[in-house]
Amino acid sequence: MTKDILVLGGGIAGIQSSLDLAEMGFKVHLVESLPSIGGKMAQLDKTFPTNDCAI
Amino acid sequence: MSKDFNPRILTFACNWCSYAAADLAGVSRFQYPPNMRIIRVMCSGGINPNYILKAFEKGADGVLISG
Amino acid sequence: MNIQLHTLSTVQEIKGEAGDFTISIKKAPRYVDMDKCIACGECSKKCPGKTPDEFNEGLDKRKAIYVAYPQAVPLKYVIDPSRCLKLAKGKCGTCARVCPTGAINYEDKEEIITLNAGAVIMAAGFRPFDPSALDNLQYSKFSNVVTSIEFERILSAGGPTSGHIECFPDKSEPEKIAWLQCVGSRDQNKCNNKYCSSVCCMYAVKEAMMAKDHISGEFEASVFLMDMRTCGKDFEKYYERAKDQGVCFVRSRIHTITEDKDHKLICTYVTEDGKNVKEIFDMVVLSVGMETPADLAKVVRDMGIELNANNFVKTSSFSPVETSRKGFYVCGALQEPKDIPMAVMEASAAACDAGTSLSLSRGSLTKIREYPEEKDVSGEDPRIGVFVCNCGTNIGGIVDVPSVAAYAKTLDHVAYVEENMFTCSQDTQDKVKKVIRENNLNRIVIAACTPRTHEALFQETLRDSGLNKYLIEMANIRNQCSWVHSKEPGLATAKSKDLVRIAVTKAALMMPLSQPTAGIMQKGLVIGGGVTGLTAALGLASQGFFTTLVEKNDVLGGNALSLNHTWNGEPVAENLSALVREVKDHPMIEVLTNTIVTSTSGFIGNFKTMVATGKKDKVIDHGAVIIATGARERKPAEYLYGEDERVLTLLELDLKIAGDSGFVKTMDSAVFIQCVGSREPKRPYCSKVCCTHSIKSALKFKELNPGMEVCVIYRDIRTYGQREELYRAARDKGVIFIRYNYESKPVVQKQDGILSVTVKDHVLGKDLEIRTDLIGLASAIAPGDNAALARMFKLSLNDDHFFMEAHAKLRPVDFATDGIFLAGMAHYPKPVEESISQAKAAVSRATVVLSKETVTVDGVVSKVNEALCRGCGACEETCAFGAIVVNELTNGLKAANVQQALCKGCGACSVACPTGAASVFHYDNEVLSMVETALDQ
Repeated sequence: MTKDILVLGGGIAGIQSSLDLAEMGFKVHLVESLPSIGGKMAQLDKTFPTNDCAI
Repeated sequence: MSKDFNPRILTFACNWCSYAAADLAGVSRFQYPPNMRIIRVMCSGGINPNYILKAFEKGADGVLISG
Repeated sequence: MNIQLHTLSTVQEIKGEAGDFTISIKKAPRYVDMDKCIACGECSKKCPGKTPDEFNEGLDKRKAIYVAYPQAVPLKYVIDPSRCLKLAKGKCGTCARVCPTGAINYEDKEEIITLNAGAVIMAAGFRPFDPSALDNLQYSKFSNVVTSIEFERILSAGGPTSGHIECFPDKSEPEKIAWLQCVGSRDQNKCNNKYCSSVCCMYAVKEAMMAKDHISGEFEASVFLMDMRTCGKDFEKYYERAKDQGVCFVRSRIHTITEDKDHKLICTYVTEDGKNVKEIFDMVVLSVGMETPADLAKVVRDMGIELNANNFVKTSSFSPVETSRKGFYVCGALQEPKDIPMAVMEASAAACDAGTSLSLSRGSLTKIREYPEEKDVSGEDPRIGVFVCNCGTNIGGIVDVPSVAAYAKTLDHVAYVEENMFTCSQDTQDKVKKVIRENNLNRIVIAACTPRTHEALFQETLRDSGLNKYLIEMANIRNQCSWVHSKEPGLATAKSKDLVRIAVTKAALMMPLSQPTAGIMQKGLVIGGGVTGLTAALGLASQGFFTTLVEKNDVLGGNALSLNHTWNGEPVAENLSALVREVKDHPMIEVLTNTIVTSTSGFIGNFKTMVATGKKDKVIDHGAVIIATGARERKPAEYLYGEDERVLTLLELDLKIAGDSGFVKTMDSAVFIQCVGSREPKRPYCSKVCCTHSIKSALKFKELNPGMEVCVIYRDIRTYGQREELYRAARDKGVIFIRYNYESKPVVQKQDGILSVTVKDHVLGKDLEIRTDLIGLASAIAPGDNAALARMFKLSLNDDHFFMEAHAKLRPVDFATDGIFLAGMAHYPKPVEESISQAKAAVSRATVVLSKETVTVDGVVSKVNEALCRGCGACEETCAFGAIVVNELTNGLKAANVQQALCKGCGACSVACPTGAASVFHYDNEVLSMVETALDQ
């Protein structure tokens, strides 16, 4: 049984799941309806507590 | 200060933040005077004071450390 | 990478079952060839089609051909077919004409593709609540009423106003802004979102603080709220800081907004003591909540996944990322509104569960690249090849590339120079490889864009041509030159020459660097045997790694042993005993109770940890460790605790109810006091779990004895997320809630055997005395004694003595030191379901380490010249990663030693070193020479 994993949604959660699985050695398909990934977090200016840029 | 003062500025920029920010300034097409030369370092914590002294010795008018 | 990205894609259908799904995906056309697009932006500059920019929430315009934002991934343009004149009307075609690489393809068609997968992770997220329908807030009518997400864009330097906050219509800076909380959350009248969205309190505080930074003149920020819910890690301190910096927090809901002739907003609200107030604000920000859009809810339901009444995916506290359909997992806001760190944790947890279900196929599909043997060039004189990129017209249109190339030829050690249209294109790469071989080049300088995006690509090119990958240096003549000096081509050319000279100077000094590999001990260690540790140990074992679980007490289970139910009513004891049994019976888990960790050494993949069971010592070899040492309910020192047996903590009360709940029927009255030892100077954090716990207990009392009076005396009720339903149910059942201030805490007294609580009522403005049969104290969750463990593993603790993760948002279960992970209440107080998520997340992160047989170390690391080292230890003290330690040598002298696997190459040790013994490869004399040559004229 050799299977890929499908991740639906390319926001911060989908990206993190995909990265973990890929680094574990799985082949991941990340499906996003928009032209780019990043989701809502990319729209945020700064985030608490470090006030790092969200991007 | 005279109008034709053309300072030479040397910048040490951290690879993970300021250097990336300088790249982003480019992506956003922000314009700034071309007086500055950026040297990429892996962390501003790794900037040896000797680098700064050397810059002034070589005639830098300013050193910017950003990280 | 092993991630295939399908953008512009939606799932049509998923057939089959866990382990074997067939998925059909509809891929919309991009009309831009991703392989050819170099994101130069020429197309967008010339495109005549304009439309509201969704990324900026429609606050400004974008073109018909666009990228959402400059850092978008993939950084490839896309045509919006509804706005493109060529696609919609057959006219124009400008973008195809100006594209330097011929990437535009108007004939691109929609595709249906079929994929196979063994598991599916649902991470479809949320939509911010749309307040257009709320007529009292006038969002659609008044320009100065904006949503919080619009305000994020307004604050952003890349946003519609470049980070300037401007009021309609005169673009003046606002002097007063109000934030209105719970818009689209905790509201059954104006919308049907009963739950709390969990994130809005914190983002409103942040936005208010940010606004203060952005506004130069006088500025007043007011947040109108019901309860301040800053219950995440370090959130409460930020709230306190905001108060100190003058942000006003008003406990009221603005019920009506009108506009005056200058478009100022007249806001009407009722204060806590019943006064009707009209206050004028320049701008109002609506703190909109999160919801699952109806169309998404339908798609999820159609996949056969059960949603609850709030349209969030139904999960259990004990399997927090599993959905009702086998093989489908969920994470993020689709499960419940949550903040970024929680979403990231759950994402890792979902990866853990999905990975466990398919662990047999791990690694079977990944590809390994092969390279030619590396040529040893360390003894050769530098022969540098310089490749100057035009990047279409991005560089060549401004910088005089031929003159830069001609200049490069005059520099020392330069053996070959070439100009390219696009150095990064595949055909040029192939040419570069050929040139390297034919000209015997041994160092390469690429004058093009930024190493941050392209260095890895060129390093591959070097490896393909048999060179060590570290023998490349880039001169950033695009992002940091042509793009930022486009009005001064002459000076940009001069700067490009300088940048090339600096890069050549460094390249001449660079030596090949080795990338040592170390074997990985594919075993895990889990410290702490509560729910978190048990879940973590079971997780690692299920992934196929032998795991040792160390618990200092004689029983497993931790705090969960005293808990009755999770917030949503699932019994804890049964689930816990099943978990304990599974751990004990698992052949891949070794359980050591009555055991403490005494010392540790080593690094990622190769730890040696000494544990002691009584007097018996044992060494455990392991590749990764999960710290799950938990926290405990503090024993109160106030409110007659310990002096009267009717005063109990919440856990003690749970145990008492579990034993025999008969006593409840004999009571007339019970009082819960919140924030006992939390949110005060000694423990300035919120313990997160106690509001829910007290209300849960209050409801239990009401269930067992409906006639009794139950009071909850609180500062803010923090039933975040769907826990809000408990708060509502409690009020419906007649539980009385009385708010107090930290400055006027309730007083507990005993007189003639009668127990009473006196509290100042805010609405009435006078003291209330409540006689009671029982007092439940929501006592703080206090960290355990983490100091010793922190010292051993070189980890940091925050001010409150909880362990500190590598990054509060993006690496919530990692430590700065590789191979060590964090989960559960050792990180911060949290309920069972979050501890379990976090434990699974830690397993996922640890599996990333343990699933590899070797770890490859980056070449740019620190080194120590032992001849110069005095063993003073300054470097060891400075290193944030525990990567450099002073050891005794065989000759009895002391010297520092770098653990390359841990070193990040920051160079802090080299600065701390008084003798110059420590330095970083390629960032030592190389930098000094760069400084020297940078200022040559």
